[in-house]
Amino acid sequence: MTGKKKISKGNIERLLNEWSQEFTVFVPSQENGVATLAKWGGGDTSFLAWYRNTITPAKANFFPPMEEMFSFRKDREGYHIELPPTDERKQLIFGIRPCDARALAILDMTFKDAYEDPYYLSKRNNTVLIGLGCLNPYDSCFCTSLGISPAESTDVDLMLTDIGDQFLIEEITQKGRELIATASGVEEATEADEGKAKEVKEASYKKVAKKIETEDIKEKLLPAFNNQDYWERAAAKCLSCGICTFLCPTCYCFDINDEMVKNQGERLRSWDSCAFPIYTKMPMENPRVEKWRRVRQRVYHKYEFYPMSFGVIACTGCGRCIRQCPVNWDITQALNGLPAKI
Amino acid sequence: MTIADISHRRKFLKTGNVYLPHTAKIEKIIDETFGERAIRTFHFNFKDEKLREEFTFESGQFAEYSVFGIGEAPFCISSSPTRKDHLEFAVLRIGKVTNALHRLGVGAEIGFRGPYGNSFPLDLLQGENLVFVAGGIGLAPLRSLIWNVIDNRDKYKNVDIIYGARSPSDLCFKYDLDTWDKDKTVNMVTTVDRSDESWTGRVGFVPKVLEEVAPSANNAIAIVCGPPIMIRFTFPVLEKLGFNPEQMITTLEKRMKCGIGKCGRCNIGNLYVCRDGPVFTYAQIKSFISSEY
Repeated sequence: MTGKKKISKGNIERLLNEWSQEFTVFVPSQENGVATLAKWGGGDTSFLAWYRNTITPAKANFFPPMEEMFSFRKDREGYHIELPPTDERKQLIFGIRPCDARALAILDMTFKDAYEDPYYLSKRNNTVLIGLGCLNPYDSCFCTSLGISPAESTDVDLMLTDIGDQFLIEEITQKGRELIATASGVEEATEADEGKAKEVKEASYKKVAKKIETEDIKEKLLPAFNNQDYWERAAAKCLSCGICTFLCPTCYCFDINDEMVKNQGERLRSWDSCAFPIYTKMPMENPRVEKWRRVRQRVYHKYEFYPMSFGVIACTGCGRCIRQCPVNWDITQALNGLPAKI
Repeated sequence: MTIADISHRRKFLKTGNVYLPHTAKIEKIIDETFGERAIRTFHFNFKDEKLREEFTFESGQFAEYSVFGIGEAPFCISSSPTRKDHLEFAVLRIGKVTNALHRLGVGAEIGFRGPYGNSFPLDLLQGENLVFVAGGIGLAPLRSLIWNVIDNRDKYKNVDIIYGARSPSDLCFKYDLDTWDKDKTVNMVTTVDRSDESWTGRVGFVPKVLEEVAPSANNAIAIVCGPPIMIRFTFPVLEKLGFNPEQMITTLEKRMKCGIGKCGRCNIGNLYVCRDGPVFTYAQIKSFISSEY
């Protein structure tokens, strides 16, 4: 008796079906070769074999690329404002990786800060996270440098580890404990199962080869802020396409715009990016019109400013910004290449 | 005297969905300046009578104003909380939302979210000599504070106001300038960059005139607002006059969307103009101001 549970891979389909009674279940899915989280339609658990990580991070389930904030309507009395209908059904995300689960904890800080963001937090409070340990990290992953172990997480409700034909289940939260208390196919794990899980986690940790030096990063970044020459060279090949920020699990910048036809309209928010010059453009001034200033902003926001505001680095080393960059821009090179402390 | 970090003075009033605007009606429009980049002051009141009674704000705070269907933009509240009949904001016609605002007439309905941000630290200004330095529409946020000070005149010592604009016809709030000019408890200095036949007053850029007026830094606080270029050239003059970075207060403007520290774009270093400002001491922003503002 280890106090931990396990479930055989063959029972996952039944488990997901059971959970679908109560939740809208999301699982890794592939469409036109793009891995995303999609609604579980039943039957297909093939993702258990191919899944490494989704291209779009789980943040999209809480902070969608485009979202209606409210609608408005004009009549003789003036404008009337109405909130969109909310989806009361709870969502369950199956298979979230430790890097992406940590990213949600980081996003929580911004969306709870000062004024609470009702759109993000209502979805966040209505969601259960089932983590799945990552055993096959990419070359571009560097989560271990950010204090994350690819197959361990306490940022989820339940954490699953692949131990061959079965998953070891760790109950992280009370919500998680309740979730599997009544689930069918769940067995008690043995000490041998737990030993196997430990081996798997350690092996996975060792596979993360890419590293950044985070220990004195703050001290190195501060004096480098005005090193224009360094940032110009670092930014040289960037295309300002913004894909690094859209796919980043901790990037949260957004735009707000109105759409209106005749007397009816909506206020919409959509993802935005510090990579775009228009992002900071004012009619008569633009503080970041040069590309190197925008590249510098992305690096500093994650590694200097966010830690100053919230005490954590706003990066989980998921590697998406490196994998998906059309010109192989690599944030770890920009960080590791910083001039040494004087 | 020392004004430490004033950002923690921000207040966050949490009431429901912070993104939902109140509706308000424009009651009066004043043409401040004319031409391609005209400036207008809008007087408005909330439609909801209860809110009209309960609404409070402090000098220096701003709000997100919207023209439904066009979008939102941030402007400071340019009236003083000591004068509660209505609220005011001033708009330079230059972009999408400001053009839409200028197309509105009296009676039109706008959206309003706020007040947001911190405010001028009145308690620290009390008992001090105040030096106001403003350029163009940058007088708008300072105007809220100036009226606040004048309405409680005995709480403050000397008041100097140095205000300038590109040309005589670009001067805003001329009705206030006249009143302050006649007010014997206020030293009002108005200047223009380029004069015309109508102008008999001072000519010269604001930082240069500030240097000529040379207010003492003793027990004084300078409050500065204007176009970024004016702000950049004013701080060194104040330093020369003996003001330390903590005796210099400014209120900044950046592109904003949310107004509440989330959408990301208005940062100066780790500070968000909306969340940690818009009122800052020069000491707070000194290391970033040369390169990002």
